[in-house]
Amino acid sequence: MTLEIEINNIAFILHNTGALYWPGKKMLLLSDVHLGKVSHFRKHGSAIPNNAMFQNFKKLDAVVKHFEPESICFLGDLFHSSLNKEWILFEQWVSNIRLPLLLIAGNHDIISPHKYEELNIAIHNEWILDGFLLTHHPETREGFFNLSGHVHPAVQLQGMGRQFLKLPCFFRNKNQMILPAFGEFTGTYVVEPQQEDIIYITTKEEVIRL
Amino acid sequence: MNREQLFDLANQWFEQKGWKPFPFQTQTWTAFLQGKNGLLNAPTGSGKTYALWIPIVLDYIQKNPDYKTKHKPGLKAIWITPLRALSTEIKQAAERVINDLDLNLTVGIRTGDTSSAERAKQKNKMPDLLITTPESMQLMLASKGYENLFKSCSAIVIDEWHELLGSKRGVQTELALSRLKTIAPAMRIWGISATIGNLHQAMEVLLGPESQQLENSVMIKAHINKKINVHSIIPDKMDSYPWRGHMGLHLIDEVAQIIKKSRTTLVFTNVRAQCEIWYQALLEKYPEFAGEMAMHHGSISRETRQWVEQAIRDEQLKAVICTSSLDLGVDFAPVETVIQIGGPKGVARFLQRAGRSGHRPGEESNIYFLATHALELVEASALRRAVKETVVEDRIPYLNSWDVLVQYLVTLAVSDGFYPKQIYNEVKSTFCYQAMTEDEWQWILNFITRGSQSLQAYDEYKKVEIEDDGKFKVNSRAIALRHRMQIGTIVGDAVMNVKYMGGGYIGNIEEWFISKLKPGDVFIFAGRKLELYRTKNMEVLVRRANPTAKAQHASWMGGRMTLSAQMSELLREELYAANTKKMSAELKALTPVFKRQRKESIVPNDSEFLIETFKTREGYHAIFYPFEGRYVHEALASLLAYRISLLSPITFSLAYNDYGFELLSDKEIDMQQVLDNDLFTPRHLHYDLQQSLNATEMARRKFRDIAVISGLVFTGYPGKVVKTKHLQSSSQLIFEVFKDHEPDNLLFLQAYRETFEHQLEEGRLLLALERIQQQTTVWKQCEKPTPFSFPIITDRLRERLSSETLADRIKRMTALYMK
Repeated sequence: MTLEIEINNIAFILHNTGALYWPGKKMLLLSDVHLGKVSHFRKHGSAIPNNAMFQNFKKLDAVVKHFEPESICFLGDLFHSSLNKEWILFEQWVSNIRLPLLLIAGNHDIISPHKYEELNIAIHNEWILDGFLLTHHPETREGFFNLSGHVHPAVQLQGMGRQFLKLPCFFRNKNQMILPAFGEFTGTYVVEPQQEDIIYITTKEEVIRL
Repeated sequence: MNREQLFDLANQWFEQKGWKPFPFQTQTWTAFLQGKNGLLNAPTGSGKTYALWIPIVLDYIQKNPDYKTKHKPGLKAIWITPLRALSTEIKQAAERVINDLDLNLTVGIRTGDTSSAERAKQKNKMPDLLITTPESMQLMLASKGYENLFKSCSAIVIDEWHELLGSKRGVQTELALSRLKTIAPAMRIWGISATIGNLHQAMEVLLGPESQQLENSVMIKAHINKKINVHSIIPDKMDSYPWRGHMGLHLIDEVAQIIKKSRTTLVFTNVRAQCEIWYQALLEKYPEFAGEMAMHHGSISRETRQWVEQAIRDEQLKAVICTSSLDLGVDFAPVETVIQIGGPKGVARFLQRAGRSGHRPGEESNIYFLATHALELVEASALRRAVKETVVEDRIPYLNSWDVLVQYLVTLAVSDGFYPKQIYNEVKSTFCYQAMTEDEWQWILNFITRGSQSLQAYDEYKKVEIEDDGKFKVNSRAIALRHRMQIGTIVGDAVMNVKYMGGGYIGNIEEWFISKLKPGDVFIFAGRKLELYRTKNMEVLVRRANPTAKAQHASWMGGRMTLSAQMSELLREELYAANTKKMSAELKALTPVFKRQRKESIVPNDSEFLIETFKTREGYHAIFYPFEGRYVHEALASLLAYRISLLSPITFSLAYNDYGFELLSDKEIDMQQVLDNDLFTPRHLHYDLQQSLNATEMARRKFRDIAVISGLVFTGYPGKVVKTKHLQSSSQLIFEVFKDHEPDNLLFLQAYRETFEHQLEEGRLLLALERIQQQTTVWKQCEKPTPFSFPIITDRLRERLSSETLADRIKRMTALYMK
């Protein structure tokens, strides 16, 4: 279910849902949850199953229970589009979780910052923490290791007998790691790694380093 | 006027033109004037248009004796054509009759190409005769007050009904007719169809099972027996004949000779990419054809296509390289010769194409068949027999297409709204929905009003609302607008418009092809070398490329076709003849190939079922040869792969063509175990097939169309860029969400059912398995690939099935790294 790794001699734990845990800070990092996406589609007449909406909250609860973090940082695209009733579910989730929450705003985060302030969620464009640069869009900056999202990375594998697989992954290179999308109703984008890049594949059961 | 006088009028008109009416034409006039409905079985270019325009006009004259001085307003007749490109020709035919007979009737066209100004004008004042497409017909049902537009209509003609019958556009037509029967009870319904195997069923689908219309109906057959000569293009030396390769360019000189000898030649290719490549290759090798040769396929802009069609009629062209885009349509008199490149995969299509040549009285049709690889020559030989014996396939109508019903009900809700009780009876009266249960109907109503079956907290689903008096209505203008745009969407792969940077539309191309290109890359499209500048929204901006630049040909995914059951049988019979002395010219030409095949394996006869296994760099191949046609092989391959995967964890890549199928794996398949366990048994077929479907991706692909038609995915309207903020999603993703969260959704289940009923043809599969049971299995362990196996193992379009864990598979695989 999890895989322990080190980045610049600091320990991290990867979870197969796409969550990243930073034990030293007792902080959970999640990217591209896209809450409200199911409702957004339904509001516009596309009948995406309602249950998918509840699944996101179940997944959130499950990773929080697993790691018992002291804070959660969302690496952008927390809410998919404009305000809808899923926000009420989110409010309830926030009040139950009782943890400091922080959002690095992504391109989808168009809801007024005041709404987040009401829930005591701090919003930043980026966050620098012990040599790590936390952003939504992947970025390279001298002297920092970047943790980001946005891309929804997946990798294509091939094997003998013309076998192919496409799986979501954590995508790591020398100074950067891109998290997979945590949200239930989100797609992926196939990245083409270089030889020196590291890929951690996530499946329904586990995280596998390639 | 009595009927005799009316007929005199029509006969005189024919005489003026120097024609004589065919018996099928006068038979149709009589039946129509008797108030009958019916199906006219007549080929393209036989005068079928006048078989129906004439009585429509005569009927008006009969009802309005003072027709020369007074005009009775309102729509009189609707003519539905599957291709909007044909509408101009149909209009011209109608206008010829009207003008010569001094009638003051107007003819209008309403298709996706009609301007909004023209549409608004039509709404104020409908033309007397309206020519339209199934999609535009639906769109009219989505406009307010549509009942008033149609109530005066006394006839509707569905042209080329065989083309619509086996498609969801046919279902759209069935539904529109069910509505019109109520609004315009005096309306006669007539279909026109080319010869297909199930003509009687075609009429039943059109008029509605057990309907009054069917009771009061007649089928009229044209019986035009034109002689069709089928020639195979066989090279002098067969040694060089390729084992695979779907282009057939090795016979380019033979093709050029045929073109030179004939006045106008239509060269039919099966796919658009092949069309582009042949056009380029001919121009390069025979520059003298420049200016006398053109290309015609569905992705080329309408203006260019219309120009080409006119140029054929004006005898300005020696040759046109085309695809099925020229299958239909009115006469091209100058065409003397037709060349078919690659297997046409259907006798009806082959006959239709052959019939495009030799249109003048007394002329014969000439069609040359060019086999693109060695085994296709067997198909050529089978085709000749099929033409001789007029073995024609069925077009299978769809049943319970929930996606089309969802679309239709929202359409009615968008215009004037509907009351379920009334519409239920109409829908139930169609062929497609005759077996629909009340529960299923209720499910559909819940789906369009609530977006699911139970009310849930925090739900904001909005589409159709139920008003206080029980009327189902769409009140949101945004939803109505999106729905109207969606109706016109032609289902297929996502297409993008190709335009010059300075303006000028060239045509459209599938998104997946463009996504492989980078700005600066050069590709050949519509016969031109184009450099990709950039893609934005749904547009591909290009500029003319340097003529010497290296370029790749644009390609399209669609259009893979399969052999029909009857054709497969003929093919098997032909092939089995290879072991006898009774060989056709084509088979004799194949002698070197058969010799090579026999070196490693055998050429099976009718009592043998051949299996070949061998190893290559790619892995372990197992090839099976039932000779049953592509769709049956698709089903057999996944069935067998599933059954083998139960014996031990294994992963397969599956490939198939019309002759056989392949299971490829990175592990050796224990063939003795396959034979010992009797894995070809017809027992538990249905269950195993269902299981194998869940394990492969076939249903997921079927779901694409369903998601678009039912409005789950919003694609926008082709050619128009629509703002769809945060509403983009792939049908694949939606399929996954349904699989995880709503597996009992009827639309989701429909994807599986369609794979069964339409693609896998379970009935044919059962017969195939029973036949295999009767045969002796011959398992050949070969050193290397055989000629028979070659076209299959080199096919890249593959299906996958696995019974291994993901983790196990990942361990043996590597990532595709950047080159």
